Amino acid sequence: MLLSLIVLIPLIFAVLTLLTKTREQARAMALVATVSVLLLTIYTYFNFDSTTAATQFEEFYSWVPSLGISYHLGIDGISLPLILLNAIVMPLLILFTWNDDRKAPNRFYSLILITQGAVLGVFCALDFFLFYVFWELTLIPLFFMVSIWGGPKKHYASIKFFIYTHVASLVMLLGIFGLYFAAWETTGTPSLSIPHLLAQFQFIESGITRDLIFLALLFGFIVKLPVFPFHSWLPDAYTEAPTAGSVLFVLLKIGGYGIFKIMLPLLPFTASPNLMITIMGALGAVSILYGAFLALAQKDLKRMVAYSSLSHMGYVTLGAAGLVSLSVSGAMFQQFSHGLIMSIMFMSCGVINKATGTRIINELGGLAQRMPKLAVIMVLTFMASLGLPGLTGFIAEFSVLAGSFVNLQGYVVIALMAIVITAAYHLWALQRAMFGVYKEKLGNVVDINGYQTLAMGVIAILILYFGLNPSPVLDMMLTNSEHIIGLMAGMGV
Amino acid sequence: MAVGDYAFLIPLLPALAFVLTFFLGKKLPNGGAIIPIVAIATSFVISLLITLGLLQNPEQVINQSVTWFAMLNLGILVDPLAAVMLTMVTFVSLLIHIYSTGYMSHDRAQYRYFAETSLFTASMLSLIISDNILQLFISWELVGLCSYLLIGFWYQKPAAASAAKKAFLTTRIGDVMFLAGIVVLFSDLFRLYNGSIPEGVFILKFDEIFSQIPQLAAMSTPVLGFQVNHLTLITLLFFGGAIGKSGQFPLHVWLPDAMEGPTTVSALIHAATMVTAGVYLVARTFPMFMAAPDSLMVVAYLGAFTAIFAATMGLVMNDMKRVLAYSTISQLGYMMLGLGVGAAIGAEAVGISMFHLINHAFFKALLFLCAGSVIHAVGTHDMRQLGGVAKVMPITAATMIIGALALAGIGIPDTSIGFSGFFSKDAIIEAAYLFGENGGGWALYALSIAAALLTSIYIFRLIFMTFFGKPRTAYGGHEAHVSMTIPLSILAILALVFGALTMERFNTFVSETFVNNFVHMDIPGLAELGGYHLASHAGHEPLIILWLPVIVGVAGLLIAYLIYGLKVVNMDKLVSRNNPIYKLLYNRYYQNAILTNFLSVKVVYEGLAFAGRAVDTGFDWVVNWIGDVTMDTGDALRQLQTGVVQNYAMVVITGVSLLVILITVVMEVL
Repeated sequence: MLLSLIVLIPLIFAVLTLLTKTREQARAMALVATVSVLLLTIYTYFNFDSTTAATQFEEFYSWVPSLGISYHLGIDGISLPLILLNAIVMPLLILFTWNDDRKAPNRFYSLILITQGAVLGVFCALDFFLFYVFWELTLIPLFFMVSIWGGPKKHYASIKFFIYTHVASLVMLLGIFGLYFAAWETTGTPSLSIPHLLAQFQFIESGITRDLIFLALLFGFIVKLPVFPFHSWLPDAYTEAPTAGSVLFVLLKIGGYGIFKIMLPLLPFTASPNLMITIMGALGAVSILYGAFLALAQKDLKRMVAYSSLSHMGYVTLGAAGLVSLSVSGAMFQQFSHGLIMSIMFMSCGVINKATGTRIINELGGLAQRMPKLAVIMVLTFMASLGLPGLTGFIAEFSVLAGSFVNLQGYVVIALMAIVITAAYHLWALQRAMFGVYKEKLGNVVDINGYQTLAMGVIAILILYFGLNPSPVLDMMLTNSEHIIGLMAGMGV
Repeated sequence: MAVGDYAFLIPLLPALAFVLTFFLGKKLPNGGAIIPIVAIATSFVISLLITLGLLQNPEQVINQSVTWFAMLNLGILVDPLAAVMLTMVTFVSLLIHIYSTGYMSHDRAQYRYFAETSLFTASMLSLIISDNILQLFISWELVGLCSYLLIGFWYQKPAAASAAKKAFLTTRIGDVMFLAGIVVLFSDLFRLYNGSIPEGVFILKFDEIFSQIPQLAAMSTPVLGFQVNHLTLITLLFFGGAIGKSGQFPLHVWLPDAMEGPTTVSALIHAATMVTAGVYLVARTFPMFMAAPDSLMVVAYLGAFTAIFAATMGLVMNDMKRVLAYSTISQLGYMMLGLGVGAAIGAEAVGISMFHLINHAFFKALLFLCAGSVIHAVGTHDMRQLGGVAKVMPITAATMIIGALALAGIGIPDTSIGFSGFFSKDAIIEAAYLFGENGGGWALYALSIAAALLTSIYIFRLIFMTFFGKPRTAYGGHEAHVSMTIPLSILAILALVFGALTMERFNTFVSETFVNNFVHMDIPGLAELGGYHLASHAGHEPLIILWLPVIVGVAGLLIAYLIYGLKVVNMDKLVSRNNPIYKLLYNRYYQNAILTNFLSVKVVYEGLAFAGRAVDTGFDWVVNWIGDVTMDTGDALRQLQTGVVQNYAMVVITGVSLLVILITVVMEVL
């Protein structure tokens, strides 16, 4: 019941929120829902056994037996940290928007809750039918989020995001069908159970079929992640989205989840695992460097952060392709860390844009003098984002780089080259926007309000806490990574 | 309870002081300066007691470790090397904090200053006390962060914000190399264990790494046609980090700019909490360098080159703090040289290099704080506007002259009479001589002697221009507050006597670091792996070799006196933009133009980043093109929607027939 509650509470409250009349009611409803999810998740976390890679809190009800569809939920060390991330940031996001004035607050908060329910659904689903339904359900609220409350290019950005990732999802669906029908053929019974289909993959006779299924699934995941060269929806969607929408994008994390949960267990059984490793490693490494260069070239602070996000997501595929337990768990940790860091980054962009009316870095200047609280939080987050030790980003990046170097030396060298560039664009932006002489034409700028300080401050503290003590989430990631690597041992990968 | 059990408090207390000062300092008098002062004083007492204990029994190395995550750990290691560093850093940092209560008393953001300097100290102490390379790297990066925050302390000043960024980015280039070194090391060790690391083994711990040196030295990979020894690669990457942090050529460019922060911060950076980290890193991993072919040679030659290169620029700077900054770069070059000649003298290299590091810390902190005292009183850095300051600030002048004599290395060979720098710098120069005599070539010795001459000239130029002669402008001024002159006097006493008092014990004590119960390294064995030929003990150098460093030191003093004191040579002709050598030096070999303006701004920023943007627009265009084509196709297909049922029926029949044919064919083929 626990997982069902975690998934359904946001969806039910989304409907209730839609019925509210005022801003006060809508935000209160959203807060109640997200706090409930957080409490349930904390309870789950403390009752979770992080020493085993087995599925826990499983729920199973047969649904459409003739097609092998069931209502099947369960979590493991791959999904729980992401659920935790989502559950933690969501109530803070509601608080962050507490005093915002915007049109149709009921719809706004309702869409936030639908996104939360859909994303949590993807993390909990153990049936491909449920998985795909939740996967596609994430698209809809995000589309409206951008197209209703977005920036000047909101229509272009929202349609581009929708079509691009939807096409990728369809390719992924073909992959699921391939897996489903092939397994039906070998076992004689239909089933959409994820663990069952993953286990049946190796019995598919044709190597080409296995590779095609793998590539189709991979395509769906890496477009969502995204990685170079399938990233061009990202800068537009992230930038045009309202601040809350950008944070929702950051918390999406379903692409990376698919890579760990679905791609890695299949990888050793593909006909050409080395080719797949090369694809994932190369795309990851190139994304890291490419995203960093593009971030350096941006004039708009939010666009810079969007490309920075692309650069950071490269570590996810690189670490996954590294196939050493340290690199794989580092890549999982990168998802967790990235969610925290980028949430503050986008919140900062939103605050600055609202306070000054611009996001163009060169038009800003000396904001630290007027916004000292924001400045402290931003410096800490920028440092985390550029990989400063003691903060979460470093744990992830070091684990990925050190672990991946065992098998993928060349790609790690590419990623290392990006580190200085990464430091450069972060510091450049800080220096121009926050330090130096205050530009009087920005008007009378006020610091972040109490709710915003609370929201951003709590996330900042978590970045510091998990940066010093990653074990509470990293241990379960390690357990699962070791399990995955264990499956591969002896497969010649 | 032995005092060693409290060793973990050494970095922890200043770290706590950071938190307390940051949140409470605003409400306390003097920005809460008392919190870091008490914390660092306590750390100092613990460090000193541990050091004294180790002096009694160098075998009693303190090592405590806890698991961090995966096969990585956090821990502390206090051996002789760490102990002397801890004691020096806590002591110098303590004096600088006391001095700062006077120096920073007018600043409204005092609490932030004391919080950040406290964190700076904590990071450096954590770096020194690390028992594994990863924690050392983490602290190393935190040191970089603190320097960024403190150089940019007056962030409203664009020059300060820019210098902070430059310092962080330049050292970051070195940091990435250091990180790459750790990554290579990690994967090599991982492979040596065949991927399964036993429970309880922390693979990045120093004793673990050192125990694998022979295996690491046996690994090599072909890179671009060269067979690269892994140990050489790893140590050179580590050294890359040291180049950045310790301001060696070509990553020294950040250090002279770093004076945009308060002068006390410069004193911290130059003496205690930052630039020594690179030297310490090489010393800490010395057994690896010893066993790595060619690495020590790179360290030695780059150090010697930096020593003379920086000294030439020190000759022409008019800003007091810049002269001192180049002096630091040059002296760090000596320390690197001292480590590099370990190729001839073995583990003793660590002793002499660290001896110079400690002595340098005292006299360089002294010189910076004296400069700060002058700047605080007269309000300018520019020596051309000063002159005769000794009359108004006698204590500052006297202490600074002691610092200068220590830097120039004045003393009497074969006795225990001399300023502190004399004992350690001479030891390094003698080691360079020994290296030459041992068949290593004489270039290192020649460079180190030449740099000693230049050192003496530039530092006495500073003394004569600032303190003697007639005032060149009408600056006001007065002797500094007692909170500033007391630290100056203490440091001056140390610059005067520390070398003489400790020279007997220091080298043997520190050189014992690598032969104790924690790690028991066979240095000659390692040297054999590295292909270095250690000198069997050399006996006595010729008298001239002992005297030469002192002779050039005194000669430098006299030259500076003749030119800047008596003014027998008219410098106006030489000091002109028409003199190409002066121009080259004054423009600092055009490094700023080449490295900053050309390489970073033009090539990386404008070139590559904008090329990237063009490519990205290309990708976006492709995506939009696919969209457009789909739309157009849709438009075209719409024409087919005629609404005539017969047409639809025909299309359906054709389609189904084609499908049936297709399926049949496919089935046949399969």
